[in-house]
Amino acid sequence: MDKTKSGAKAKAQAGGCLCGAVRYRISGRPKHVHNCHCTMCQKTTGSLFGAFAGFDAAHVRFTKGKPKDYRSSKWATRGFCAKCGSSLTYRLVADATQIWLALGTLDNPAAYAPRGHIFTTTMVPSLKRVKDGLARYRAYPS
Amino acid sequence: MVAKTRAPVHAGGCLCGAVRFRARGEPLLVEHCHCSMCRKASGAPVVTSANFPTDAFRWTKGRPKYRRSSKIAERGFCAVCGSPLTFRFDGRRDYVSINVGSMDRPERVTPECHIFVADAIPWMLHRDSLPRHRRGFPRR
Repeated sequence: MDKTKSGAKAKAQAGGCLCGAVRYRISGRPKHVHNCHCTMCQKTTGSLFGAFAGFDAAHVRFTKGKPKDYRSSKWATRGFCAKCGSSLTYRLVADATQIWLALGTLDNPAAYAPRGHIFTTTMVPSLKRVKDGLARYRAYPS
Repeated sequence: MVAKTRAPVHAGGCLCGAVRFRARGEPLLVEHCHCSMCRKASGAPVVTSANFPTDAFRWTKGRPKYRRSSKIAERGFCAVCGSPLTFRFDGRRDYVSINVGSMDRPERVTPECHIFVADAIPWMLHRDSLPRHRRGFPRR
Protein backbone atom coordinates (compact mmCIF):
# COMPACT_ATOMS: atom_id res chain seq x y z
CA MET A 1 0.00 0.00 0.00
CA ASP A 2 1.26 3.42 -0.96
CA LYS A 3 1.99 5.95 1.76
CA THR A 4 2.04 9.70 1.55
CA LYS A 5 4.48 11.91 3.45
CA SER A 6 1.93 12.17 6.27
CA GLY A 7 1.84 8.38 6.48
CA ALA A 8 -1.83 8.09 5.51
CA LYS A 9 -2.61 5.08 3.36
CA ALA A 10 -4.04 5.62 -0.11
CA LYS A 11 -7.57 4.31 -0.14
CA ALA A 12 -7.92 1.30 -2.43
CA GLN A 13 -10.19 1.83 -5.42
CA ALA A 14 -11.80 -0.64 -7.78
CA GLY A 15 -13.29 -0.42 -11.20
CA GLY A 16 -14.07 -2.24 -14.41
CA CYS A 17 -15.90 -2.25 -17.68
CA LEU A 18 -19.64 -1.88 -18.21
CA CYS A 19 -20.37 -5.63 -18.50
CA GLY A 20 -18.09 -6.67 -15.63
CA ALA A 21 -15.86 -9.03 -17.66
CA VAL A 22 -12.79 -6.94 -16.77
CA ARG A 23 -12.19 -5.72 -13.21
CA TYR A 24 -9.21 -4.01 -11.57
CA ARG A 25 -8.01 -2.80 -8.19
CA ILE A 26 -5.78 0.17 -7.42
CA SER A 27 -3.63 0.22 -4.30
CA GLY A 28 -1.71 3.49 -4.72
CA ARG A 29 -2.20 7.12 -5.53
CA PRO A 30 -2.29 8.48 -9.06
CA LYS A 31 0.76 10.39 -10.25
CA HIS A 32 -1.16 12.33 -12.89
CA VAL A 33 -4.88 12.98 -13.46
CA HIS A 34 -5.88 14.88 -16.58
CA ASN A 35 -8.75 15.52 -18.92
CA CYS A 36 -7.30 14.80 -22.36
CA HIS A 37 -8.74 16.55 -25.42
CA CYS A 38 -6.57 14.88 -28.07
CA THR A 39 -8.46 13.49 -31.05
CA MET A 40 -7.41 9.92 -30.23
CA CYS A 41 -8.94 10.18 -26.74
CA GLN A 42 -12.08 11.61 -28.34
CA LYS A 43 -12.38 8.68 -30.73
CA THR A 44 -11.46 5.99 -28.25
CA THR A 45 -13.99 7.17 -25.64
CA GLY A 46 -16.62 8.48 -28.06
CA SER A 47 -16.79 11.45 -25.70
CA LEU A 48 -15.61 15.01 -26.25
CA PHE A 49 -12.58 14.24 -24.08
CA GLY A 50 -11.00 11.41 -22.11
CA ALA A 51 -10.01 11.55 -18.45
CA PHE A 52 -7.14 9.37 -17.31
CA ALA A 53 -5.28 8.76 -14.05
CA GLY A 54 -1.69 7.54 -14.32
CA PHE A 55 -0.30 5.04 -11.78
CA ASP A 56 2.77 2.93 -11.13
CA ALA A 57 1.87 -0.29 -12.90
CA ALA A 58 2.71 -2.17 -9.68
CA HIS A 59 -0.23 -0.43 -7.99
CA VAL A 60 -2.83 -1.68 -10.47
CA ARG A 61 -3.95 -5.30 -10.55
CA PHE A 62 -6.49 -6.89 -12.88
CA THR A 63 -8.70 -9.03 -10.66
CA LYS A 64 -10.97 -10.39 -13.38
CA GLY A 65 -10.34 -10.70 -17.11
CA LYS A 66 -7.87 -8.56 -19.02
CA PRO A 67 -8.35 -5.69 -21.45
CA LYS A 68 -7.80 -6.38 -25.13
CA ASP A 69 -4.94 -4.20 -26.40
CA TYR A 70 -5.13 -2.06 -29.49
CA ARG A 71 -1.91 -0.43 -30.73
CA SER A 72 -3.28 3.08 -31.17
CA SER A 73 0.01 4.77 -32.17
CA LYS A 74 3.72 4.07 -32.50
CA TRP A 75 4.19 4.90 -28.84
CA ALA A 76 1.06 3.62 -27.09
CA THR A 77 -1.58 0.91 -26.70
CA ARG A 78 -5.13 1.33 -25.50
CA GLY A 79 -6.97 -1.46 -23.70
CA PHE A 80 -10.69 -2.12 -23.91
CA CYS A 81 -13.16 -4.83 -22.94
CA ALA A 82 -13.58 -7.17 -25.93
CA LYS A 83 -17.12 -8.02 -24.76
CA CYS A 84 -18.64 -4.58 -24.17
CA GLY A 85 -16.11 -2.13 -25.65
CA SER A 86 -15.44 -0.02 -22.54
CA SER A 87 -12.20 1.96 -22.89
CA LEU A 88 -10.06 1.02 -19.91
CA THR A 89 -6.34 1.68 -20.22
CA TYR A 90 -3.55 3.63 -21.89
CA ARG A 91 0.03 2.35 -21.81
CA LEU A 92 3.31 3.47 -23.30
CA VAL A 93 5.10 0.90 -25.45
CA ALA A 94 8.49 2.05 -24.13
CA ASP A 95 7.57 2.17 -20.43
CA ALA A 96 5.82 -0.80 -18.83
CA THR A 97 6.19 0.70 -15.35
CA GLN A 98 3.22 3.06 -15.84
CA ILE A 99 -0.45 2.56 -16.60
CA TRP A 100 -3.25 5.07 -17.10
CA LEU A 101 -6.84 4.12 -16.22
CA ALA A 102 -9.92 5.72 -17.75
CA LEU A 103 -11.59 7.58 -14.85
CA GLY A 104 -15.10 6.76 -16.01
CA THR A 105 -14.50 3.06 -15.37
CA LEU A 106 -13.87 3.55 -11.63
CA ASP A 107 -16.70 2.32 -9.41
CA ASN A 108 -16.27 5.63 -7.59
CA PRO A 109 -15.33 7.98 -10.44
CA ALA A 110 -15.15 10.91 -8.03
CA ALA A 111 -12.16 9.28 -6.30
CA TYR A 112 -9.64 11.32 -8.30
CA ALA A 113 -10.20 14.79 -9.69
CA PRO A 114 -8.37 15.98 -12.83
CA ARG A 115 -5.72 18.61 -12.21
CA GLY A 116 -5.80 20.05 -15.68
CA HIS A 117 -6.79 19.83 -19.32
CA ILE A 118 -4.21 18.60 -21.81
CA PHE A 119 -3.96 18.80 -25.61
CA THR A 120 -6.26 21.80 -25.58
CA THR A 121 -5.56 22.74 -29.20
CA THR A 122 -8.26 20.18 -30.14
CA MET A 123 -10.58 20.98 -27.21
CA VAL A 124 -14.05 21.64 -28.68
CA PRO A 125 -15.17 25.30 -28.49
CA SER A 126 -18.26 24.53 -26.39
CA LEU A 127 -15.98 23.17 -23.63
CA LYS A 128 -13.30 25.85 -24.08
CA ARG A 129 -15.88 28.43 -23.03
CA VAL A 130 -16.54 26.65 -19.71
CA LYS A 131 -14.49 28.15 -16.89
CA ASP A 132 -13.65 25.39 -14.43
CA GLY A 133 -10.47 26.88 -12.98
CA LEU A 134 -8.26 23.97 -14.08
CA ALA A 135 -4.90 24.55 -15.75
CA ARG A 136 -4.85 24.15 -19.53
CA TYR A 137 -1.91 22.73 -21.45
CA ARG A 138 -1.40 22.51 -25.18
CA ALA A 139 0.51 19.22 -24.75
CA TYR A 140 1.46 16.85 -21.93
CA PRO A 141 2.91 18.99 -19.09
CA SER A 142 6.49 18.07 -18.25
CA MET B 1 -33.59 30.45 -59.27
CA VAL B 2 -33.58 29.42 -55.63
CA ALA B 3 -30.19 28.46 -54.27
CA LYS B 4 -30.26 24.92 -53.00
CA THR B 5 -28.86 24.63 -49.51
CA ARG B 6 -27.12 21.37 -48.93
CA ALA B 7 -27.79 19.53 -45.67
CA PRO B 8 -24.61 19.18 -43.57
CA VAL B 9 -22.97 15.77 -43.51
CA HIS B 10 -21.40 14.52 -40.30
CA ALA B 11 -18.87 11.78 -40.97
CA GLY B 12 -17.11 9.78 -38.33
CA GLY B 13 -15.87 6.44 -37.16
CA CYS B 14 -13.81 4.58 -34.61
CA LEU B 15 -10.17 5.18 -33.71
CA CYS B 16 -8.75 2.49 -36.02
CA GLY B 17 -11.02 3.30 -38.97
CA ALA B 18 -12.57 -0.18 -39.31
CA VAL B 19 -16.06 1.25 -38.76
CA ARG B 20 -17.23 4.47 -40.46
CA PHE B 21 -20.57 6.27 -40.58
CA ARG B 22 -22.33 9.28 -42.05
CA ALA B 23 -25.23 11.30 -40.69
CA ARG B 24 -27.01 13.86 -42.81
CA GLY B 25 -28.70 17.02 -41.58
CA GLU B 26 -28.86 18.41 -38.07
CA PRO B 27 -29.24 16.19 -34.99
CA LEU B 28 -32.59 16.08 -33.17
CA LEU B 29 -30.81 16.70 -29.86
CA VAL B 30 -27.24 16.85 -28.55
CA GLU B 31 -26.93 15.98 -24.87
CA HIS B 32 -24.21 15.50 -22.25
CA CYS B 33 -25.12 12.25 -20.45
CA HIS B 34 -23.85 11.79 -16.90
CA CYS B 35 -25.34 8.32 -16.25
CA SER B 36 -23.05 5.69 -14.77
CA MET B 37 -23.51 3.32 -17.73
CA CYS B 38 -22.32 5.91 -20.25
CA ARG B 39 -19.32 6.53 -18.00
CA LYS B 40 -18.39 2.87 -17.82
CA ALA B 41 -18.98 2.28 -21.52
CA SER B 42 -16.76 5.19 -22.56
CA GLY B 43 -14.29 5.48 -19.72
CA ALA B 44 -14.96 9.22 -19.90
CA PRO B 45 -16.49 11.31 -17.07
CA VAL B 46 -19.43 12.29 -19.29
CA VAL B 47 -20.59 11.23 -22.75
CA THR B 48 -21.91 13.64 -25.34
CA SER B 49 -24.34 12.13 -27.83
CA ALA B 50 -26.03 13.45 -30.96
CA ASN B 51 -29.39 11.89 -31.80
CA PHE B 52 -30.03 11.56 -35.55
CA PRO B 53 -33.16 10.24 -37.26
CA THR B 54 -32.51 6.62 -38.25
CA ASP B 55 -33.13 7.36 -41.92
CA ALA B 56 -30.51 10.15 -41.87
CA PHE B 57 -27.81 7.78 -40.60
CA ARG B 58 -25.87 4.98 -42.30
CA TRP B 59 -22.75 2.87 -41.87
CA THR B 60 -20.30 3.44 -44.70
CA LYS B 61 -17.56 0.98 -43.68
CA GLY B 62 -17.68 -2.08 -41.43
CA ARG B 63 -20.28 -2.54 -38.72
CA PRO B 64 -20.06 -2.20 -34.95
CA LYS B 65 -20.36 -5.08 -32.56
CA TYR B 66 -23.52 -4.65 -30.51
CA ARG B 67 -23.76 -5.35 -26.83
CA ARG B 68 -27.01 -5.33 -24.89
CA SER B 69 -26.14 -2.93 -22.08
CA SER B 70 -29.50 -3.13 -20.31
CA LYS B 71 -32.99 -4.57 -20.74
CA ILE B 72 -33.97 -1.54 -22.77
CA ALA B 73 -30.94 -0.59 -24.87
CA GLU B 74 -27.93 -1.72 -26.86
CA ARG B 75 -24.57 -0.09 -27.50
CA GLY B 76 -22.40 -0.45 -30.59
CA PHE B 77 -18.57 -0.41 -30.51
CA CYS B 78 -15.67 -1.30 -32.79
CA ALA B 79 -14.55 -4.89 -32.15
CA VAL B 80 -11.01 -4.07 -33.36
CA CYS B 81 -10.17 -0.95 -31.31
CA GLY B 82 -13.06 -0.77 -28.80
CA SER B 83 -14.29 2.75 -29.61
CA PRO B 84 -17.88 3.16 -28.41
CA LEU B 85 -20.01 4.43 -31.30
CA THR B 86 -23.76 4.25 -30.82
CA PHE B 87 -26.57 3.88 -28.32
CA ARG B 88 -30.10 2.81 -29.14
CA PHE B 89 -33.25 2.27 -27.09
CA ASP B 90 -35.17 -0.87 -28.15
CA GLY B 91 -38.40 1.09 -28.08
CA ARG B 92 -37.08 3.99 -30.18
CA ARG B 93 -36.07 2.74 -33.62
CA ASP B 94 -36.76 6.20 -35.07
CA TYR B 95 -33.41 7.65 -33.96
CA VAL B 96 -29.89 6.58 -33.15
CA SER B 97 -27.55 8.28 -30.65
CA ILE B 98 -24.04 8.76 -31.98
CA ASN B 99 -21.15 9.35 -29.60
CA VAL B 100 -20.01 12.82 -30.62
CA GLY B 101 -16.35 12.03 -29.88
CA SER B 102 -16.39 9.53 -32.74
CA MET B 103 -17.33 12.23 -35.25
CA ASP B 104 -14.45 13.55 -37.37
CA ARG B 105 -15.60 17.11 -36.56
CA PRO B 106 -17.12 16.90 -33.06
CA GLU B 107 -17.17 20.70 -32.81
CA ARG B 108 -19.79 20.88 -35.57
CA VAL B 109 -22.62 19.88 -33.25
CA THR B 110 -23.49 21.92 -30.18
CA PRO B 111 -24.45 20.35 -26.83
CA GLU B 112 -27.92 21.52 -25.73
CA CYS B 113 -28.47 20.05 -22.27
CA HIS B 114 -27.26 17.78 -19.50
CA ILE B 115 -29.15 14.59 -18.67
CA PHE B 116 -28.94 12.25 -15.66
CA VAL B 117 -27.19 14.93 -13.61
CA ALA B 118 -28.35 13.06 -10.49
CA ASP B 119 -25.51 10.60 -11.34
CA ALA B 120 -22.91 13.22 -12.28
CA ILE B 121 -19.42 13.28 -10.80
CA PRO B 122 -19.43 16.45 -8.67
CA TRP B 123 -16.40 17.98 -10.44
CA MET B 124 -17.96 17.19 -13.80
CA LEU B 125 -20.97 19.46 -13.43
CA HIS B 126 -19.30 22.14 -15.43
CA ARG B 127 -20.38 25.67 -14.99
CA ASP B 128 -22.32 26.28 -18.15
CA SER B 129 -25.83 27.62 -18.58
CA LEU B 130 -27.29 24.57 -20.37
CA PRO B 131 -30.54 23.11 -18.98
CA ARG B 132 -30.06 20.23 -16.56
CA HIS B 133 -32.34 17.24 -16.28
CA ARG B 134 -31.99 15.14 -13.17
CA ARG B 135 -32.89 11.88 -14.86
CA GLY B 136 -34.13 11.23 -18.35
CA PHE B 137 -34.40 13.21 -21.54
CA PRO B 138 -36.26 16.47 -21.95
CA ARG B 139 -39.70 16.02 -23.47
CA ARG B 140 -39.93 16.68 -27.18
